[in-house]
Amino acid sequence: MNIDDTVSGLKQELRRGTLILLVLSQLREDMYGYSLVKQLNDHDIPMDANTLYPLLRRLEGQGLLQSRWDTAESKPRKYYKITEDGLAVLEKTTAYWRNFSANVEELLR
Amino acid sequence: MKHDLIERYIYAATKRLPAKNREDVSMELRGLIDDMILERCGDETPTEKDIRVVLTELGTPMEVYAKYDEDADKCLIGQPYYSTYKFVLKIVLASVVVGMTIVSLIQAIVDPTIWYDMISDWVSDLSGSLMTAFAFVTILFAFFQDKGIKLDKTFDLNDLPTVPKKKQEISKIDPVVGLVIDILFVILFLAAPHMLGAVNTQTGVIVPIFNVDVIRAHWYIIVLFALFGIVRETVKLLEGRYNNKVMGTTVVTNVLSAGTAAWWLSDANLFNPAFTNVIAQQVGEGEEVVITMFEHFPRFFLAVMIFALALDTIEVVVKTLRK
Repeated sequence: MNIDDTVSGLKQELRRGTLILLVLSQLREDMYGYSLVKQLNDHDIPMDANTLYPLLRRLEGQGLLQSRWDTAESKPRKYYKITEDGLAVLEKTTAYWRNFSANVEELLR
Repeated sequence: MKHDLIERYIYAATKRLPAKNREDVSMELRGLIDDMILERCGDETPTEKDIRVVLTELGTPMEVYAKYDEDADKCLIGQPYYSTYKFVLKIVLASVVVGMTIVSLIQAIVDPTIWYDMISDWVSDLSGSLMTAFAFVTILFAFFQDKGIKLDKTFDLNDLPTVPKKKQEISKIDPVVGLVIDILFVILFLAAPHMLGAVNTQTGVIVPIFNVDVIRAHWYIIVLFALFGIVRETVKLLEGRYNNKVMGTTVVTNVLSAGTAAWWLSDANLFNPAFTNVIAQQVGEGEEVVITMFEHFPRFFLAVMIFALALDTIEVVVKTLRK
């Protein structure tokens, strides 16, 4: 068995499970896709742009995010921001996460 | 900054997306690639190599497309239907090959022409029939797939069926025989109606029971009749047990088949009157019953069909309802 491969697969699973929660939490402020990628990277949460961009679009389709094109600057950028529904989802999911991660932490000790 | 390679990349990644999203996704990708290049090169002018590295990092255009398109992993016929689809397709196509070949062989014996004409007739009739059969089976299963996915979304654990008892199971042989008979029925009536008849002992010519032109003009009725049969047998194959779905399908398709048969046989021109004379000539004057039977052949034929359909319906209903 290749330990490293197994570990990296598990890490990816864990990241995938928390990704939407993280995206919603960061988009309480207006942000465009790549600045979000960088922000997550700065916190050691590597995220492929080709995964994040379609995800933003899907979340917008579900009504959790809204978007607008900013064409004022030299290059047009699509900014995303959380909606009312998104905030409600974020709030409930965050509460669940706090409880869940505390329980996991306790079991891991 | 517009760059040829980047534009080609974006075009390849977005060309299969729905038209309403394409422009928006293109702009988004262009912005993203710009940002990634800026991140990599800062204030320096990006080289061709920088662009290639960034695009490789982003993934192949097909990967990008697959992540954007929600339909990317959907298919016309997938599991759980695919294995049954392959199975039904094999039986149907094999029946067509065997049936059409037999018809061509008989045709060649009864009415021989030059050998290469006979072979080219056989090949063209066979390929036409194979394509039609393939299309019918494929459309049928694409329909099942579409319906099946919708049903799956409302899945409820309480709806899980009980494990069938031995006598509730449908053996594969039953629907397979049904399929073969359906296909042979179509071939018999569409490709060889002129061979269905009796030989006039004086002239040596086959006198068909049916009026061949009328049968050919009403080809769609025969196809419809067989289609109901194929639906019925396919549902049996998919379910593999007698249940309400099989019972419902059997009752509905059998009623439709009976209706179709009645519609078909109600045409007074369908029957060839010359046939009765040949029968009379062959059986002799004494056999009035036989002659009368053939005089009323359409009605007799319809009665036989309805009797067979009723028997099948009763069998399925009884097997489904018994505990």
